[in-house]
Amino acid sequence: MAKRKPIIEFQHVTKIYSGYDSKVIALNDVSLRIFSGEFIAITGPSGSGKSTLLHCMGLLDRPTSGKIFIEGKDTSEITGKDVALLRGKKIGFVFQSYNLIPRLSVIENVILPGLIIGRKRKELEKKAMDLLKEVGIAHRAEHRGVHLSGGEQQRVAIARALINDPIIILADEPTGALDTDSSKDIMDLLKETNRNRGVTVVFVSHDPDIARYGRRRIEVVDGKIVSDRRRR
Amino acid sequence: MSISRYFAWNEIKEHKLIYTVIIVVIALTMASFMLENAYINYMVQVVNETIKNVTADAIVTNPDCDVRDLYGTETPIENAGEIARLIEEKLPGYKASVRVTAQASYGLGAKNESADGCTLQGIDIKNDVVVEELKKKIVAGRFFREDDPILRGHTPLYIKIKGPGDLPDIVYGSGQRLLEKDEPYPVIVGAAAAKVHPSIIGVGKELDLYVSAASRGANYVSIRVKIIGLYESGTPTVDAMIWFIPADSLREIKCYGKVEGKSWTIPGIGSFRGFKPIKIDRNKGDAIVVKAPPPSLSIDPMGYAEKVRKDVQSVVGKDLKVFSWHDFLLYGAGSMQDVVTILLWGSMGVTLLLCGAAIKYVMDSIIIRKMREIGSLKAFGARDRVIFKIFLYQGMFIGFISGLLGIFIAILVMNIVNWYGLNMGFIAGTQLKIGFVVNWFTVVIAMILPVILSILAASIPAKKAAMLPPVEALRRGEMSL
Repeated sequence: MAKRKPIIEFQHVTKIYSGYDSKVIALNDVSLRIFSGEFIAITGPSGSGKSTLLHCMGLLDRPTSGKIFIEGKDTSEITGKDVALLRGKKIGFVFQSYNLIPRLSVIENVILPGLIIGRKRKELEKKAMDLLKEVGIAHRAEHRGVHLSGGEQQRVAIARALINDPIIILADEPTGALDTDSSKDIMDLLKETNRNRGVTVVFVSHDPDIARYGRRRIEVVDGKIVSDRRRR
Repeated sequence: MSISRYFAWNEIKEHKLIYTVIIVVIALTMASFMLENAYINYMVQVVNETIKNVTADAIVTNPDCDVRDLYGTETPIENAGEIARLIEEKLPGYKASVRVTAQASYGLGAKNESADGCTLQGIDIKNDVVVEELKKKIVAGRFFREDDPILRGHTPLYIKIKGPGDLPDIVYGSGQRLLEKDEPYPVIVGAAAAKVHPSIIGVGKELDLYVSAASRGANYVSIRVKIIGLYESGTPTVDAMIWFIPADSLREIKCYGKVEGKSWTIPGIGSFRGFKPIKIDRNKGDAIVVKAPPPSLSIDPMGYAEKVRKDVQSVVGKDLKVFSWHDFLLYGAGSMQDVVTILLWGSMGVTLLLCGAAIKYVMDSIIIRKMREIGSLKAFGARDRVIFKIFLYQGMFIGFISGLLGIFIAILVMNIVNWYGLNMGFIAGTQLKIGFVVNWFTVVIAMILPVILSILAASIPAKKAAMLPPVEALRRGEMSL
């Protein structure tokens, strides 16, 4: 059997935030491999470095030392516009507060990442409608994002994350602003997306009930991975 | 539409109130700049036309003459005709003619209660450099003809000579006409003067003119004139002040020449009874007017005026003075124009700088509020350049709309004012219209300057937004929620 190749690999990644008179080690010599189709929960107490781990994974932040590979490509060797392009094409983001652009309609929000990387609007609109159907919000395609409930907005955000067919979806506290029922719905949707589309999902949560959704659970404490377990 | 332009336009729509205020302020600044410039342009054109009507392109005088004397100089050039011929000979394409000038005044109404003044321009009715243009400007009556009774030995009605010291003035021939059959001198008057004094000025009307003859030792010479035509130069100042009379008539009145036999002799103040035609010395004149060939490229009229002045000066030598029309312009309006222009640019600059600062601070505040959006766009793959352009395009749109609106307002006001024609009663009692002449350079400035300014003002916050690390933008955006 051929050896599986990771889609994301961290090699001794350290991230240090330096202030005027302080130094915070957010990630401390982290090595990690993420494979295609995984459904991963990153947990840990507040300030443990789990969000930093996610940001580095999504190329939103650069490590102070160590290397991050995406599909075998060393990201420390690429800069500027190529990083942005890689982020746009390969990674889908879901944020805690949804980050929908308030003055855009639901469908416009969904196609936005596609427009940014230069795809054609018509093709994007067709795909966006399919995705909105998939997340169960197609009937509100023409509404403005801000007029939707939190759960609905997060569904739109998931559709938006999928528009460019990413290899991975990174969700930072995707249920952090939702009530219990909506949280469950969103987690079920993410799980379904992972299963049906085979897209890797990595989410951060400090809520043990939510973290339980992850088939693989990585626990971060003080910038170090203290446990990395797969559920059968 | 690109993402940057789309977002930029949406930002403007979202902040339309504050941006409208900025746009209106810039637009009004540009409109007032254009209007003031167009008005100055109009005034310069008025002065310019006035000057060219009097001087053509250049004028040669005696060295003791300054710009102020040129509307009625009293120091003749003895060999003016020869100099005019020399100019034409030495400077190919140039035309020169001898001009005789004098100041005159006339009483108004039946009782002569008040008086008005005019400048008599004695022109050579065949060869003066402005004859053809003047003919085209006749709006009533006619131009001079060769058979007009202009050289038939007219004698002024009387000559008043200033008495020496405290002695009273001496008046000769008062109230007498020395010719058996007297004909008044034909003159052509500006239509504006006819509008101001319709009861006494009009085609066919006759009146007495008191012509200054100071250089002859006389205070003035009274003559009878008949108005044969009215002209409209297009510039009310010319129309109101300048009357044309054949040069020989004015020579006769000013007594440029020998009076022979029994006819009057001045300045010896001999007898002037009897009749004998005065021998006119056409070589003599008060000024030589010069018309230069049009420049091949008229992009620098001031520079060309100076070249013409130098060319003419090189021919006439240092003993005579040469003024270009631009010298008159500088005298008449130039210094005023320079000061007004500096003030205009200064005030516009200050207002635009304030608007630029306003744009910058509005965008700074937008960036703080839109931090999360900027972070999200970056997370979705937007390059720094895309974010930079969102704010840059905002600046560009604001500048473009402001410039366009400013030009629209200015042109609208100009058209309304030019169409309805507002009058201002000044300059020798004439009804001078407020007019605008669009200076296309200012249109370009009004379009380009706000765009440049807004882009520059926007580029500072734009750069700040573009350089924001995505994670920082997202984090600070979350915090500001």
